Amino acid sequence: MILYILTILLLLLIAPLLTGLIKSIKMFLLYKRPVSIFQPYANFNKLLVKELVISHESSAITHLAPWMILSPLLVTLLFLPPIFQGAYYIGFVDAFTIIGLLSLSTFFLMLLGLDGGNAFGGMGSSREAFIASLVEPAMVLTIFSVGLIGKNLGVGNVALNLSTHFPVEHAASFLFAGLSFFILLLAENGRLPIDNPETHLELTMVHEAMILDISGLYLAIIEMASSLKFVIFSSLFVTLFIPYGLNLIAPLALLVFVGKLILVSMVVALIEVNGAKLRLFKVPNLLGIAIVFAFLSLITFYLLGV
Amino acid sequence: MIDFFIGLFLASFIVALFSGRLYKLIFWYAFNALTLGIITLLVGAQIDDIALIISGSITLILKAGIIPFILKRSAKRFHLKREITSNIPIQYSILLVPSIIIFTLYLAEPMSSMIGVNSQYIAISISSFFLALILMIEHKNIAPKIIAFLMMENALFLLGTTATYGMPMFIELGIFIDVMIAIVIINLLFKEEAIR
Repeated sequence: MILYILTILLLLLIAPLLTGLIKSIKMFLLYKRPVSIFQPYANFNKLLVKELVISHESSAITHLAPWMILSPLLVTLLFLPPIFQGAYYIGFVDAFTIIGLLSLSTFFLMLLGLDGGNAFGGMGSSREAFIASLVEPAMVLTIFSVGLIGKNLGVGNVALNLSTHFPVEHAASFLFAGLSFFILLLAENGRLPIDNPETHLELTMVHEAMILDISGLYLAIIEMASSLKFVIFSSLFVTLFIPYGLNLIAPLALLVFVGKLILVSMVVALIEVNGAKLRLFKVPNLLGIAIVFAFLSLITFYLLGV
Repeated sequence: MIDFFIGLFLASFIVALFSGRLYKLIFWYAFNALTLGIITLLVGAQIDDIALIISGSITLILKAGIIPFILKRSAKRFHLKREITSNIPIQYSILLVPSIIIFTLYLAEPMSSMIGVNSQYIAISISSFFLALILMIEHKNIAPKIIAFLMMENALFLLGTTATYGMPMFIELGIFIDVMIAIVIINLLFKEEAIR
């Protein structure tokens, strides 16, 4: 039980580090002098002492929304799969609960964008709704197929089943589900092919547009929430789709887990450096490929390896 | 193991269907032929058939190596348009591809009782045949059409390999020679398109 709490604390602490890591890898690859990977912590501290400015037009939602963005993600952290064998985990939670909690967080983020009353907020919210609605079907299909491969719908049980007995006959189905989930990881976290997290250009921004007029403590909370979302998605990805190292002894398993998280952030950084942002109306094509791969993963589960 | 590569075979068809660049399409054709060659070698090793191993090696060398190389070189030489646009919008393809796969699943069901062995592979071969057909329909330019033709041939080869454990050696060699002749003709067609 103590290890369970410690793991959650570790995930909370490591979340800004991964965001900083992605940024510094990108800057290093672009021949810039990289910022420190601990920069997000410094930003967080700075934002905490800053003044809170709220526009006159905004209602009570602006005061409520940042907490409602953060709290579903904090609850989701409790439901993540175990990262070593024998650790305590909540077994009864299936992936649909996690999707629902993440959608709740996204919903309040969209409300926050609309509430400010500026043009950018509404634009960002509508784009976010557009992307989120396309992510959902692929997510459900992917989770079904992973649940079928792992013979359980609960996330923790799936991770344990896959690590103890990996079904080699369903390797193709597993690979497609992994590909689909990785595209969803990029889409949900606003990484590059879908949304550029660094620019404030009016044509391209999605996530930044919604939080444009938020400042101070609320901005700190939202930044924390977005890095937490990345850590939730990437830890789901590494425990479900790279299911090795769970059966090592606890400290070593933890080290392997952190290593896998760093690997995922490096891959994301590499993709961001090598690719350009998709035009907004081409985003459905990429997410459509994710849907087709998720579907293919389900089909190949039934067709192959019986 | 064969299942994994057959899954990759089907996936390469779908990725080829969604790719918008000619060189990427040629790459996916080479990847497709690579998985096909590995499947043939694995089936050949499984049933210990020397003819299948030979045709698998020929597939690896010819289809995964030489043909993509020739296609890319001639596409470069004749300055073919590198951007290929499809007539069918991707939104419709997203609906079309799963429906084709499910349709062929039911299509292959009555056949499975007749053939018995590897019945589920037949569904995948037929669906990849249909996917190649869509690839041929959705493009206007000659180069993607030709790659679709070659991929269709791959799908037939997979059908022959998995459903009946390989056609007779003479027929397979004949098909290989046909493909080589086709490549020669294709080069002439490329030249035609380059002149226009």
